[in-house]
Amino acid sequence: MSTVIPMGPYHPALEEPYKIDVVCEGERVVGSNIEVGFNFRAIEWLAERKNYTQGLALVERVCGICSNIHTLTYSQAIENIAGIEVPERAKYIRVVVAEVERLHSHLLWAGVACELIGFHTLFMTCFGLRETVMDALEAISGNRVNYAMNKPGGVHRDIVDPAAVIAAIREVADVTAKKLIPVLTTDKTVAARCVGVGVLTRDEAIAYGVVGPVARASGLTQDLRKDAPYAAYDKLEFDVPVATEGDVFARVVVRALEILESCKIIEQALEAMPAGPFEGELFPAIPAGEGVSRVEAPRGEVMYYVESDGTDGPSRVRIRTPTFAIMPSVQRMVMGQTLADVPLIQASIDPCYSCTDR
Amino acid sequence: MNADAIAETLGGKGVAELRRDGLWLDMPAAKVDEMARVMRDAEARFVTMTAKLMDDNAHVQLMYHWDIDGELLTIKVVVKDSAKSIIELWPAADWVERETRDYFDLAFEGREETPPLMLRAGDQRGLFKRTAPVGRGADPAYTAKTGEEAR
Repeated sequence: MSTVIPMGPYHPALEEPYKIDVVCEGERVVGSNIEVGFNFRAIEWLAERKNYTQGLALVERVCGICSNIHTLTYSQAIENIAGIEVPERAKYIRVVVAEVERLHSHLLWAGVACELIGFHTLFMTCFGLRETVMDALEAISGNRVNYAMNKPGGVHRDIVDPAAVIAAIREVADVTAKKLIPVLTTDKTVAARCVGVGVLTRDEAIAYGVVGPVARASGLTQDLRKDAPYAAYDKLEFDVPVATEGDVFARVVVRALEILESCKIIEQALEAMPAGPFEGELFPAIPAGEGVSRVEAPRGEVMYYVESDGTDGPSRVRIRTPTFAIMPSVQRMVMGQTLADVPLIQASIDPCYSCTDR
Repeated sequence: MNADAIAETLGGKGVAELRRDGLWLDMPAAKVDEMARVMRDAEARFVTMTAKLMDDNAHVQLMYHWDIDGELLTIKVVVKDSAKSIIELWPAADWVERETRDYFDLAFEGREETPPLMLRAGDQRGLFKRTAPVGRGADPAYTAKTGEEAR
């Protein structure tokens, strides 16, 4: 006999609303259905009724974690319409902030995952490192969450003290390499909760169109920073960690290794950043046209479509966030798993319902 | 990515344009289900779909965005009232079809059901389509001016 167990809209793992109805036979999951939209704010609709400057402030609030990525992608789409070239220094600044934001996101997720696994000391380590990262973001932008760095044609602020950022990043890399990764990859508690749990095969990952670390943990090598480089990524050396197991453990390992790669990217970018202008033109004219931009956010590909009718605001804005692409695959991941693993499996995709609902 | 080959397979009638943000194929009469099959054979990745209401407020332009080895291909088709669903070949399109129904009240043929995604059951569909006639005035906080006025 099947039993339907509704979870949510308030979730057992994360403080964001969504609903998953889990169909169980005994302890085994035999089906599920996900409901989203509890955070629906019609941001696309609103963005079509704001000018480009107002739109920047609006899209920055699509997500509370990867807020910077949204202004970057929006700005790049607008730059594609108008044929705007961004100053070289601004490209490097965009990379630095995007990667520090990735550290923030991955460390937040690692901390939450550790708590779910029941590993509270490692949770404290992750959140301690995250504080260092957020201090660095505050030093760069003046803000800890919405950084207001990007605008069409450049960035709003320079990075005035690269050495301080490098020192913070080296601390993150050191603790990650010497403590976080060894513990995550060798601890029996972590392995017991994560290995072989919530598998998404490579073929399933393709069919569901998943992106980011979840795709890379299922053997897909896709990463827009390599495949379709933007900003200054084509001038920087880094690897794309990939695993083939497709389970929760593979997602843990891929994200942990990505922390080290981000640290490498940030240090290179800060050292190679050329002198020169960074702001671009104030209020550039945007002609009629349309443009698309894609960026590798911490959770995976973000895509913006923007259409301009030649006024100072867009006539159509489309936002595709990573969790929107990944979340449906959770219905596949939980099949055949135990009910107790459902919270961890869904948390393993690092979901963001604020992004999903927009 | 061979745009000509893809265009020819899809019927050959359309406009291809290579821009800095990818390749755009404007093929208003292309068959969506055929496109889905061609993209599967081309080992593409479904990125998403963008819907946009046309000037007559009746037709909808659907832009299917595909990734082929890192390059973005956008195929534009035009439909009215309904379009063929592609979820049988591309489960990844499930949520975006449901969302498009929420926003534009567009039906997707071939699905057993198209439940709301962002709206709640019973909500009136077609948020974007319904508010299009009043344009930006639908938002009382709208402050944008024309480009010239703003400068």
